[in-house]
Amino acid sequence: MKRLLSAVWGILSSRALSPLVIGFFLLLYIGIAFVTDDTLTALMEITRTNIFLTVMLALLPLFSAGRIVEETGRYLKRRRALAGDAAAVPAGLFDETVALSSTCRSLTELQGRLDAVGYKTRLTANALTAWRGGSGFPARMLFLAGTFCLFAGIFISLSTRTSFRGTVIEGEPFPAPSGNGGIVERIILGKASGLFLSKSLDMEVAGPRPGGITEKFGLYPPSRYKGAYVYPRYLGVGLYLRFSAPDLPAGYEDHAILSIYPAGKEASEEIPGTPYRLMLSLAKPDDGSDPYTGRMVFLFKLLKGKEVVLTGKAPTGGEFSQGGYRLSFPDSRRLVITDFIQDSGVLLIWTSVILFIAAGCIWLPVRVLFPRREMLFMLEPDEIRAWSRAEGRRGMHAGVFHEALDTLEATRTAIT
Amino acid sequence: MVAMKFIPHLLSWLGIVLVLLRGFPGRRTVVTVAGSAGFAAGLGGAFVFISSTPGDFLFSIIRDLVGGGLLLLWGVSVAAIYRSGVRDFPLSWGERLLSTPLYAGTAALVAGIPAGAICACRLSGTEGNAPAFLLLVLVAVALVFAALAAEKLLPPSVTMSQAGLMAAVVALLIFSSSAILRLDLFSPLTMKVMKFTHDFVHQFFESMLIPDHLFIRDYLWGYIGFLFGKEVGFWGGLFIWFTPVVIVALAVSFERLPSVAHIRRGAERRKIMAAAIRARRIRLVIPVLAAVILAAAVYKSRFPSVEYWDPKPVPVSADPTGEILIPKKGDISLEDGKLHKYLFKQGGREARFFILTTPAGNLTVDLDACAICKPDGYGQAEGTVICYYCKTLIPLETVGKPGGCNPVPIPFTEKADGVHIDGITLINNWGNTVQATTRIKEGGK
Repeated sequence: MKRLLSAVWGILSSRALSPLVIGFFLLLYIGIAFVTDDTLTALMEITRTNIFLTVMLALLPLFSAGRIVEETGRYLKRRRALAGDAAAVPAGLFDETVALSSTCRSLTELQGRLDAVGYKTRLTANALTAWRGGSGFPARMLFLAGTFCLFAGIFISLSTRTSFRGTVIEGEPFPAPSGNGGIVERIILGKASGLFLSKSLDMEVAGPRPGGITEKFGLYPPSRYKGAYVYPRYLGVGLYLRFSAPDLPAGYEDHAILSIYPAGKEASEEIPGTPYRLMLSLAKPDDGSDPYTGRMVFLFKLLKGKEVVLTGKAPTGGEFSQGGYRLSFPDSRRLVITDFIQDSGVLLIWTSVILFIAAGCIWLPVRVLFPRREMLFMLEPDEIRAWSRAEGRRGMHAGVFHEALDTLEATRTAIT
Repeated sequence: MVAMKFIPHLLSWLGIVLVLLRGFPGRRTVVTVAGSAGFAAGLGGAFVFISSTPGDFLFSIIRDLVGGGLLLLWGVSVAAIYRSGVRDFPLSWGERLLSTPLYAGTAALVAGIPAGAICACRLSGTEGNAPAFLLLVLVAVALVFAALAAEKLLPPSVTMSQAGLMAAVVALLIFSSSAILRLDLFSPLTMKVMKFTHDFVHQFFESMLIPDHLFIRDYLWGYIGFLFGKEVGFWGGLFIWFTPVVIVALAVSFERLPSVAHIRRGAERRKIMAAAIRARRIRLVIPVLAAVILAAAVYKSRFPSVEYWDPKPVPVSADPTGEILIPKKGDISLEDGKLHKYLFKQGGREARFFILTTPAGNLTVDLDACAICKPDGYGQAEGTVICYYCKTLIPLETVGKPGGCNPVPIPFTEKADGVHIDGITLINNWGNTVQATTRIKEGGK
C-alpha cells in the first residue's frame, strides 16, 4: 500500500507530466485542425463534453499542486540541512555531494575563507553552512501557484460555465437566468476617461420593490447579478414601427429589435406575409455626437422583393410618407444584448495572470543579480561530507566550492 | 535543366545520410542499407501512387508527414531541455534503446522514406517515367557512398546529441520539401497561426468577459488588431519553426558539466571541465546548422522560384437585365485550364473575379478573394492557385468549393454561348466578402 501511494505521489508530483498533458492537447488541436477551421472552439467543445478529456484537463492543476507540495518539502528539507539541524542530508537536495576522508576537526579556517569571498556563514559544532544571494523559491512558488490557478480556472470555466443571453431594454424588466428583475430605468452610453475603455455604459435597474435601491451594471470589471456576471455585448434599438403601403392599406405595426449600433450598421426587418422588407440604420448626427445619446434618427430603405421602393429618414416619433407609402416610428428605446454568465473560473484566471507577473518580477532580478548559492560541510567521525548547489553563476560557485575542498584536503595533508 | 531541380533534394539526402552516419557511430552498415532501402521505398511508393492516383492527395500526405516530423522534434526538444536541467533524469532504458542497431536502422529507414517520396513528387512534375526513377535510385545510392567517404573526413570531435541529430534530419527534410511548391510547410503554418491567434484572442475576450471593440480605445484596439494581421502569422510561424532547434541548442548549452568536486588536483579539474565545455560547444554546431537550413526553407517559401500566372483583369459589363456574359471562346479560351481574371464595375462599386476550368474539366467562377484574407487575389502555378495574402496553396481540384482560403465561388450558368453571371450577385458577394475580411484584418471580432 505504501509503495502504491509512493508511486501515485511520484506521478502527481512529476515534472514531466504537465508538459506531456499539454502536449497531448496540442496534438489533439493539430488533429482537429485537419477537420475544421474552428479548431479552438471545437477543441473546447470536445473537452467540455468528453469525460476523458475533462479528466485530462483536471490533471493539470493537480500536477501543479503536487509540484507545490513536493518543492516546498524539498525546500524545507534543504533549509533544515543548511541550518545544521538534519541528522542526514537526503539525496538529491544538492547539485554536488563529496565525501573527503579527513581527521580535520575544525572548520573555522574555512569559514574565514568563505567569509572573505562574500559568502554568509554559520558554524555549528559539526557543520559549516555558507550561502549568498536570494532564493528563487518564492518566485517559483508564485509561478506554480499561477499555473495551478490558470489550469484550475480553465478547467472550472470549461466544465461549469453557463451562459444566458437576454435583451436589456429601457422600461422593460431586467432579464436574468433566474427570472426577470426590476425595471430597467435607463441605459446610458457615455465617454470614458480610462486608459483602456473609450466608452462607459450604465444600465440602471430599479430595485425589485418600489423604493428599492437602483442597481447599476457597467462594462468592466463586470458586475454580478444573482451570481451571474453581466456581460454587455452589443448595443441596439427597440423600435416600434408602423407601416402601410398602397397594396397594404390595413397597415402593419410591431416592435423590432435592431442591432444597428454604431451608425451605418444596417439591420433588416421583414414585414410578415408581404413582399416588403425594411433596411434600417442609425443616422449620424450632424454635430458629430453619438447617435445613441440624443434623439435617434433612422435611415431606412423599403424593398419590395429586390426593388427599392422608398428611401428616407425619420426621427423617433416622426413619420415619412411618399407615393402612398407611410412609415412612422412612434417609439424607440435603447437596448443592450447582454450575456449573463455563471463562471467561477474567471477570477482564477485573472489571479493567475497577477501571479505570473509577480513571479517574473521577482525571478528576473534575483536570477540575474544575486542568485542563490549554497554550500554545506559536515564533520563526521572519519570524513567530511560536503554539498553544493547554485541557482546561477554556477561556474564561479563551483570554483569556490572546489577551493574550499582543496583547503580541507590541504589541512588533512598538513596534519598527516 | 530538369536535373538541376533535383539538386536541393539530393543535397538534402546527402546531408541526411552524413548526419545519420555521424549520429550513429559504429552503425555504418545498418544506416547505409536501411537509409538506401528507405529512400528507394519512398521514391518507388510515391512514384506508383502518383502514377495511379492523380490529384493532390499524396502531396498532402507527404506534407503532413514532414509536418509531423517538426512536431515530433518539438516533443524531443522539450524532453531534451528537461533532461539537461536534471542530472539523473530517469531515461536509462531510452539510452539503451538509442544505442541498439535496430534503432539506428529504423531511424535511417524512417528518414529515407520521406526523402525519397519528396524526390518522387519532383519527378511527377517533370519526367515521371521508370528510367528516371531508376536513375534517381542510383544517384541516391551513389550519394550514400559519397556520404560514407565524407564522414570519414570529419574530425572525430564532431559529435551530436540525439536531439541535435533529429533536428538536422527534420531540417533537411523540410528544406527538401520547401523546394516543391505543393509541399511547402511554412505558408500553411503561418495561415494556421493567424487563425489560431484570431480564435485565441476572440475566446480570451469572451472568457474574460472583456467588452467588444466598440468600447475599447482606438490605440489599444490598434495593438490588438495587430494580432489579426498576417505579420503575426509570419512571426508566429517563425517562432514555431525555429523554437525546437533553439531549444535543442539551449539543451546542449545547459547540459550539466561533469562533477569534478571529488578531484583534488585543480589542473586536472580544469582540464576535464575545459574538455567538457569544448565538447558541448561542438555539439552546438549541428543545431545551429539546422537553424540555418530551416531559414533557407523559409526563404524558399517566401520567395519561391515560380512565376505565377496572374493575368490583368479584363473589364466586363452587364447587359440591361444585369447579366454578365463571358464567351467560352474568342480572345480568351475559358477551357485552357488557365485562370482568367475579370473586373466588373457598376454604380461606383466593383468586383474582381476569375474563371477557371479545373483539371476535372469543370468550369468555375470565383471571386478573386477568399472569405478569410484581405482581397490580394490569386495567382496560378503548378497545379494550384496561391492566395497572395497568406501564401496558401489551393489545389486546382478544390477551386470552386467554398471554405478556408479557397476563392469564394459565385453562382453562374453555363450555356452554349458562354458563362452567364448575375452582376448584382457578384457585386454583393464581393462587397460582403471584402467587408468581412477587412473588418477581421483591422481587428474586428
